[in-house]
Amino acid sequence: MIAAAWICLLLPLAGALAITLAGNLLPKRIAGILATSSVAGAFAAAVVAFVLMLGDSPGQRSHVSTAFTWLSAGSFHAGFSILLDPLSMVMMMVVTGVGSLIVLYSIGYMHGDNEERRYFGYMALFVFSMLLLVQGGNLLLMLVGWGLVGLSSYLLIGFWHEKPSAVAAAKKAFVVNAIGDATFAVAVILLIQQTGRIDFGAFSAISLGNGGVVNIVALGLLGGAIAKSAQLPLHTWLPDAMEGPTPVSALIHAATMVTAGVYLIARTHSVFELAPHVQDLAAGIGAVTIIVAGLVALVQTDIKRVIAYSTMSQIGYMFVGVGVGAYASGMFHLMTHAFFKALLFMGAGIVIHALGGEQDIRKMGGLRRLMPKTYAMMLIASLALIGFPLTSGFFSKDAILAGALARGNYGAALWILGMIGALLTGIYTTRMFITVFHGDATETVTRHLAGGGSGAAHSAATAAHATDANATDDHAGHARAHHGEGPRTMLVPVAILAVLALIGGFIQVFDWWTGMETWLESVTPALHQPSGLQEAVSSIAGPLMGLLGVYLAWSTYGAKKDTAPRPWALLERKFYFDELYDRIAYGPAATLARLFTRVVEGPLVIGSGDALGQGTRALGERLRPLQNGLVRSYALLIAGSFAVMAIVFLAVR
Amino acid sequence: MTSALILLPLGAALAIWLAPLDRLAVVGLALAAAVAEIALWIATVIRFDLDKSSIQFSQQASWFKDLHVSFHVGLYSYSLWLVGMTVIVMAAAIAYAVWAGRERPRAYFGLMLFLMAAVVAVFEAQDLLLFYVAWEAMLIPLYFLVGVWGGPGRAAATYKFVVYTIAGSLLMLAAIVVYGVQQGTFDMTLTKGSGSMWLFLGFAAAFAIKAPLFPFHGWLPQAYRESPPEVAAVLSGVVSKTAAYGFLRLGVIEFGGPSQDVRNVVLALAAAGLVYGSLVAFRQPDLRGILAYSSLAQMGLIVMGIYAIDLGGLNGAVLQMVNHGLISGVMFLLAGIVERRAGTGDVARLGGMARGRPILATTLLVGGMIALAVPGSTTFAGEFLILAGVFSSGWGWTAVGAVAIVLAAMYALRLISAVLHDRKGEAVTDSARDLRLPELAFVLPLLACLIALSVWPAAITSHSFGKGSERCRPLANVLKLTPGDCP
Repeated sequence: MIAAAWICLLLPLAGALAITLAGNLLPKRIAGILATSSVAGAFAAAVVAFVLMLGDSPGQRSHVSTAFTWLSAGSFHAGFSILLDPLSMVMMMVVTGVGSLIVLYSIGYMHGDNEERRYFGYMALFVFSMLLLVQGGNLLLMLVGWGLVGLSSYLLIGFWHEKPSAVAAAKKAFVVNAIGDATFAVAVILLIQQTGRIDFGAFSAISLGNGGVVNIVALGLLGGAIAKSAQLPLHTWLPDAMEGPTPVSALIHAATMVTAGVYLIARTHSVFELAPHVQDLAAGIGAVTIIVAGLVALVQTDIKRVIAYSTMSQIGYMFVGVGVGAYASGMFHLMTHAFFKALLFMGAGIVIHALGGEQDIRKMGGLRRLMPKTYAMMLIASLALIGFPLTSGFFSKDAILAGALARGNYGAALWILGMIGALLTGIYTTRMFITVFHGDATETVTRHLAGGGSGAAHSAATAAHATDANATDDHAGHARAHHGEGPRTMLVPVAILAVLALIGGFIQVFDWWTGMETWLESVTPALHQPSGLQEAVSSIAGPLMGLLGVYLAWSTYGAKKDTAPRPWALLERKFYFDELYDRIAYGPAATLARLFTRVVEGPLVIGSGDALGQGTRALGERLRPLQNGLVRSYALLIAGSFAVMAIVFLAVR
Repeated sequence: MTSALILLPLGAALAIWLAPLDRLAVVGLALAAAVAEIALWIATVIRFDLDKSSIQFSQQASWFKDLHVSFHVGLYSYSLWLVGMTVIVMAAAIAYAVWAGRERPRAYFGLMLFLMAAVVAVFEAQDLLLFYVAWEAMLIPLYFLVGVWGGPGRAAATYKFVVYTIAGSLLMLAAIVVYGVQQGTFDMTLTKGSGSMWLFLGFAAAFAIKAPLFPFHGWLPQAYRESPPEVAAVLSGVVSKTAAYGFLRLGVIEFGGPSQDVRNVVLALAAAGLVYGSLVAFRQPDLRGILAYSSLAQMGLIVMGIYAIDLGGLNGAVLQMVNHGLISGVMFLLAGIVERRAGTGDVARLGGMARGRPILATTLLVGGMIALAVPGSTTFAGEFLILAGVFSSGWGWTAVGAVAIVLAAMYALRLISAVLHDRKGEAVTDSARDLRLPELAFVLPLLACLIALSVWPAAITSHSFGKGSERCRPLANVLKLTPGDCP
């Protein structure tokens, strides 16, 4: 089992190294196949490990394996070790399972790009980093994975590096995540100071009288979690991250990396339980993010940004879940969200692809007839997102909401926010869906799809579009753009995900069949058990709110097809977070840097040295007349000096 | 073995100066000597007992017997790593110079090898006077290397660098004389340490200027900008480490008491340099400027680790010294490579070089990521240990260091993107080629060392101050070691 886990971790790394080192020797097509098979191989290894773990008795399912001592100093040792337990197992399966589907999809999506190899190298690197994060056997190694996923995310957001907006977005994502890395690191350092340990059991060793320390450690971890998971107030990088290729958005910014914060809280739940206020804070942040992101999603016009805000909002639910101690429900929603959100992104990717890089939903419409398969799959994803009964999102979201109700008054407040969030989800999902697929075909759509009977005309259109500011470099490279819905390598993974999004929720059906809950019981036992009534209320109210949202959106956008929302500046400017941070963080830092450069560095540091030099030189100039070459003046000087010295000696004596 | 590490480059330097060789022979001899030096170092490592904390390969010859001055060299484990970093980075710098085709090769390569000998001697000297001689011997080749082969502003830069350095080292000379006479010996393995604040400050002045520590860095921006890139790599990567080593070997270990007393002052300067350097680096208009101020910041971090006066901090500092030596080498050499292609290091005129130049892009990305200490890199490991170590001096220092993590990301990403990304800069032409084999030959080994250390940073941190009780002997008087550290 341990061997399988190591293979699972190292296969994607081997894939990344092979692709990077082989460079141009590797045919482009092979790079994609190599990346896909290394991730799929990791998935196979994860499945083997899973099956073997099923054979263990539930209390004996935690295994640590240490390869060597990675870092040590004095009595502090950090092993390069992996932890294999039911919790990391779930993540391994999700990461490699969804990951291999998305990498496979990428083969079709990235076909024709000039730098496919680099893309697949980065993707494999990401999967390795994510697995390291998930399997890391101690907090330091988890932090390493944590940083490396940030690195791969940076590389992939900025993949089209000739586009200034993509580069800016990549840098922003890295820097915001570095803030989270820093607080995470401080938490680990504090833990080492208190306990000398960095394993996940170390929290219990913090002396209980030290409430402040526990709180700071938990806050540091929470800081890392909200930065990585794009929760308020460190969320601003995620919408910008949509500059990356769409499969990247699906894998990193929907299915896996952004949910790492949820995993972190579940993994370190014992410290959060020692610091209940911080845990409440996590849940509160999640609930507020549900609302804020849901509101902003209402007015976004870029299809990927709508989904990105939706992702933030859905991760907000997961934070509520782990924040109220319903860890299994949080993880459950993480898994189903990985299915339906990846599906949503990949469907959007097919649409964007077919439209030559167009992402503005106002320019889309009437795609239902032209792209029936995509339509069907996007419908499934949207239903799951809304929480339509019996789809995967229904079971997981309502499990979280029921868990919130079981938390008492605070939980009830969270529950209400979650309900409003469900309403918003219904509205923005429906708005996006009908704008893209229903109504009449727009000019952009007809240009790319309806008249695309002849290949020549189509390439001409694509080429013409390449000059468009919206078209990205890769699409310009796609002279042989795919007609309609893309090749089989794109459709098959999407179809598999559609099935999972539809039925994946049956892993856990209320309290009748608690697959996820039981599986995670030994690692993350729930703090509160919702009653049957709470389950029922949530499971009925949740979908009702969602459907109410659908109705509202349908009546607003469906009839008039009024895609231009009322100019609601607060929402369109995304609550002014970017502007705020420019004011309070970036601006002052830049000003300080400028101040240092102009005022301190020039005049003071370098100037003082220069002044000292000039002073010495001036002194020399002053003293030069003494060396006038006249013996009589030297004699006078010597005699005078002797006289002074004699007086001094006499006086001292 | 230890003296051979000094004599080999010194002999090669003399041979190049004295023998009437042509360019090819000079270049061949210089490269061969550099490679032989690395081989010699590897041979030393193999025979070295890394679990011991005491001095090894000690070699002594009497020099001025009456004054108890001797030619005494030897290696502690931590100096072994610094010597290794030195010979590797110097070899890369020499290879760069070969590739760049420096004029007057006999003078140039002789000076580089002489510098290598001097730096190695600083790390190996076990006699204060020998230490001083080696310390000043570094200045001679640097004076010429910057002053003759530097950029347009080289005269002013050299002048400033030399005056600054001499001001510091004369104070150190005075301190050495007094200290040696007080102790009755100049042998650093026999001195008993001192509690004199004045003597300590005499030493500290030299180290603070050479490192440099904020605000004694007035010479730094010009020197790093006007030097040839490979000399800047050596200045920032290797020569600055002699100062950090001085803070460790002579500051903390010989002057434990005064070090404890001024610890907060030194930490404050180090932390100020860390934040200040990172911020100023972010505003610099050129590649060298960014690297110069990032070097100031990193030296702040290293000194912070040393003055944490904590085993974790010291181990982190030693690792970080090696890391920064290697990464400075990579970054300055890459900056030189870019400057040669574009004719400028002005970031406003660069950009878009990643397209069609995958090897340059990959090496600069890897180097930049290690420079900003991405988690998992060896620089991260060093930084982590330093910040964990300095925590015992006060959580505020760790907090400042954590802020610097974010600032480092900002300036390093700016540098990466300025060269590689966005639209093509006006100074970048299509004729600017990707890295070629000779360039890879000096960039890749440095990166390979960094990657190897990233996989196993404990190679250094577990083997710098010995194991178990071995570790405690030299450090017990300065470190408040817990019983667990000294079984």
